Amino acid sequence: MKPRMLASTPNPLATLTHRIVQWARRKSPWILHFNSGGCNGCDIELLDLLTPRYDVERLGILKEASPRHADILLCTGPVTRQSRDRLLRIYEQMPAPKWVVSMGSCSCSGGVFQGGHNILGGVDQVLPVDMYIFGCPCRPEAIIDGLARLLEQIK
Amino acid sequence: MSRLLTQIYLFEEIFAALQEAFPDAEFVVEDKPVDDTFLKLAPEKVRPAAELLIEKFDIYHLSTITGDDAGDGVRLLYHFWSSYGITLDTLLPYANLRIPTLTDLIPGAAFYEREIQEMLGVTFEGLATPGPMFLPDDWDGSFPLRRDSDKREAK
Amino acid sequence: MSKITVPIGPQHPLLKEPLAFSLTLEGEHVIESAMRLGYVHRGIERLSQERTYVQNVHLFERVCGICSHIHTTTYCQGVEALLGLEVPPRGLYLRALLCELERIHSHLLWLGVQARNIGFDTIFMYAWRDREIVLDIMEDLSGGRVSHAVNIIGGVRIDLTPEHRDVILGQLDTLETQIETLLDVVENERSFQARTRNIGCLSLEQIRRYCVVGPVARASGLDMDLRRDAPTPPYDRLKFRVPVRYEGDAWARTMVRMLETVESVHLCRQILTTLPDGPTSVRAKRRVPPGEVVSRAEAPRGEVIYYIRSDGSDKPARVKVRTPTLTNLITLPDQLQNISMADVSVVLSGVDLCIACADR
Repeated sequence: MKPRMLASTPNPLATLTHRIVQWARRKSPWILHFNSGGCNGCDIELLDLLTPRYDVERLGILKEASPRHADILLCTGPVTRQSRDRLLRIYEQMPAPKWVVSMGSCSCSGGVFQGGHNILGGVDQVLPVDMYIFGCPCRPEAIIDGLARLLEQIK
Repeated sequence: MSRLLTQIYLFEEIFAALQEAFPDAEFVVEDKPVDDTFLKLAPEKVRPAAELLIEKFDIYHLSTITGDDAGDGVRLLYHFWSSYGITLDTLLPYANLRIPTLTDLIPGAAFYEREIQEMLGVTFEGLATPGPMFLPDDWDGSFPLRRDSDKREAK
Repeated sequence: MSKITVPIGPQHPLLKEPLAFSLTLEGEHVIESAMRLGYVHRGIERLSQERTYVQNVHLFERVCGICSHIHTTTYCQGVEALLGLEVPPRGLYLRALLCELERIHSHLLWLGVQARNIGFDTIFMYAWRDREIVLDIMEDLSGGRVSHAVNIIGGVRIDLTPEHRDVILGQLDTLETQIETLLDVVENERSFQARTRNIGCLSLEQIRRYCVVGPVARASGLDMDLRRDAPTPPYDRLKFRVPVRYEGDAWARTMVRMLETVESVHLCRQILTTLPDGPTSVRAKRRVPPGEVVSRAEAPRGEVIYYIRSDGSDKPARVKVRTPTLTNLITLPDQLQNISMADVSVVLSGVDLCIACADR
């Protein structure tokens, strides 16, 4: 008679796969960038990360085009009423587990545009944020630091 | 010889031509910083004056149209540029916020007129409006740049 | 052939900022296009009425992150005219230095984005690496890479020692060599030309009808540059050429921008070597006497115009901003007419989109 595998028995192969996947998520997070209404300052500092001086690809970070491939959503700019729906939709399209990073003062709190007739506030008015990176605009070093701290939390 | 040979007319010549074309109209001229001359005229004279500037003096570059809630009406300023600035300054009373469009003469005026239409509630007769331009799709219909826009007056 | 509609929506790898396009294709060619702005509309003109003139310098710097200095320059120029202030020459020269450095950084940024959009990632990496030299110069001068906060009403808040000036001149020499290499690629490299020649052509007649400004206008033969046509000091004393081309296509725009970058390096050198001595700013009053002013300047993307009306208090009654991108966006339906889907990216990046500027 073949011994039955109980549901509560841990499957060593599944645990190993899970650990490899977790290791890949930590070592190579793929980011998606969405500007929900910002001035572009934080966006160009983010793009600076891909360029030879900062070169985050050596750290495993790749900027993805589609929400379905991304692990981390990097939001810049305050959330305007027009871009709110699209921001929610992008978040829903990302597969779990996913993290949201709020880059720049505007994205953290609305920044200098607080009180505008088309501004809802920072990204945390719409999505659950896992990491806030301050600055106007935030320096590339600060972005790398923020992402590194987020990845430590993922463990 | 890369510079196009366009003759630069003195403002006096333009003023003389306007007075000749509209003998019964009243024009008020004011010099403003930095290098601009404001020409105050009645709303119905704006389009004929613009036609004169374009056809007779080849002043076709409309920098922008400013809309301003002046307290006793909406003031429209048509800023032209021809090595110095000429602004056509007109006041529309609140009771009759209508003025013919300039887009058949200057297609580049379309975006400026659409912006004033949705921010201040001025109707430009003959302007094609395929939809809201800056305000979100779910806007409640009030005009953000009006003085009393906090009361949320509907259209 | 059947028609399909392709949305190039607010989130797209081509676009750094949200802007919604809807392209109707028949086969491979675009027959109709529609555009929806407003995703980045922050209501800055309304916000400026609730802040003082000094707070507004901080606000207008954030209309756009790429051309932030020219916005504050135009705004401060207007408020200084209303106050009747005369900025000392050294302050004006330093303001112009940052304007030209910003022009170089903006054009190099644009070159990288254009190259990335046609698949030429190498030029993207090279251009942005060389752009770091400019950002280093700006950071040493002002403390910020992207947002400098150099302008105050009445002048500038920075100053320059002769040793620092010599360091910057050395950095400019390095930059010039790198820019010459990039110019050589744009001018002579066949794959770049194959992707950009005869794409998105605009004739001079269209430029005049749409009142287009900036490098897009200069690439189609319209010789208009406010630095030369409405010279405020120090541009009335500096010698520079305004590059104009006649082809009107995306390649001509690239050439105009690269030649302008070379001219800007020469201008920076002239400014640094002829910098007059003296103070860099004058004290400005908080309350501005009633009046109105129209202030114009030449941003990297074209003519930027500010209309400021004051009513005697310390807050402006009305500030109207019109940025060059808003003017150039109106040409997009014409440019997108009948082009192949693969060339849409070239056209979109050819007008140097800065939607944050356009929407305000």
